[in-house]
Amino acid sequence: MTYLVSLLLIALIVGLVAVASNPAPYFAALGLVVAAGVGCGVLISHGGSFLSLVLFLIYLGGMLVVFAYSAALAAEPFPESWGDRSVLGYVVIYFVGVGLMMKFFCGGWYEGSWMIIDTFKEFSMLRGDISGVAMMYSLGGSMLVICAWVLLLTLFVVLELTRGLSRGSLRAV
Amino acid sequence: MTPVHFSFSSAFILGLMGLTFHRTHLLSALLCLEGMMLSLFIALALWTLQFEMTGFSAAPMLLLAFSACEASAGLALLVATARTHGTDRLQNLNLLQC
Repeated sequence: MTYLVSLLLIALIVGLVAVASNPAPYFAALGLVVAAGVGCGVLISHGGSFLSLVLFLIYLGGMLVVFAYSAALAAEPFPESWGDRSVLGYVVIYFVGVGLMMKFFCGGWYEGSWMIIDTFKEFSMLRGDISGVAMMYSLGGSMLVICAWVLLLTLFVVLELTRGLSRGSLRAV
Repeated sequence: MTPVHFSFSSAFILGLMGLTFHRTHLLSALLCLEGMMLSLFIALALWTLQFEMTGFSAAPMLLLAFSACEASAGLALLVATARTHGTDRLQNLNLLQC
């Protein structure tokens, strides 16, 4: 099980190297999908099943789908993948950098850091993370209202930014 | 530093370096920003799970909501750039260049 978690953590770093090494945006979005998927696996193996579900649904299924659609705006006739010269240079540099940091920060590498949040503590039927999120509706209700207000505000911000013919906030558009 | 802590820290730093250094497309920079948000979500969620502070698990959810706002604002600016300059390549954003 420890090997599975280690594989997921390595895949997280590989996915973000794939994003940061400047390929065409199609491939960068693919790297981010892989990184989010294995990030969900890491959260599940620590016992946070609800937070992992939220990450999948909202992040992958909401935000990254919109990014994938917007990748049509960055269309190129010859998209640069990770095998092309410039991208491969960045990939090598980032892997070497991660390896150097791993050598530098290897103190305390094998200490016990893997705890699973327990279902049977305090005789509860629910896991810890979902009951914590339920607090957002009771005691954290004001933060929920603020979040909803900010999301509504962002809707109008996006409307005004992309309203064309100088009628919106940008004169050039 | 434990492996879990190291992996999301280095994921954040990789996203930050990807955002900072030479890009061709504006969308690549926005995707690196999303990678940073992903690493922050994983960090906050692991903080909740490893310390068993169940009340803190609202924090990653709120982070995700605000990151959605920021991503949509970035994409609106990307669309505006594509409308005025025809593409989102960063070489074309050079009106203020001397």
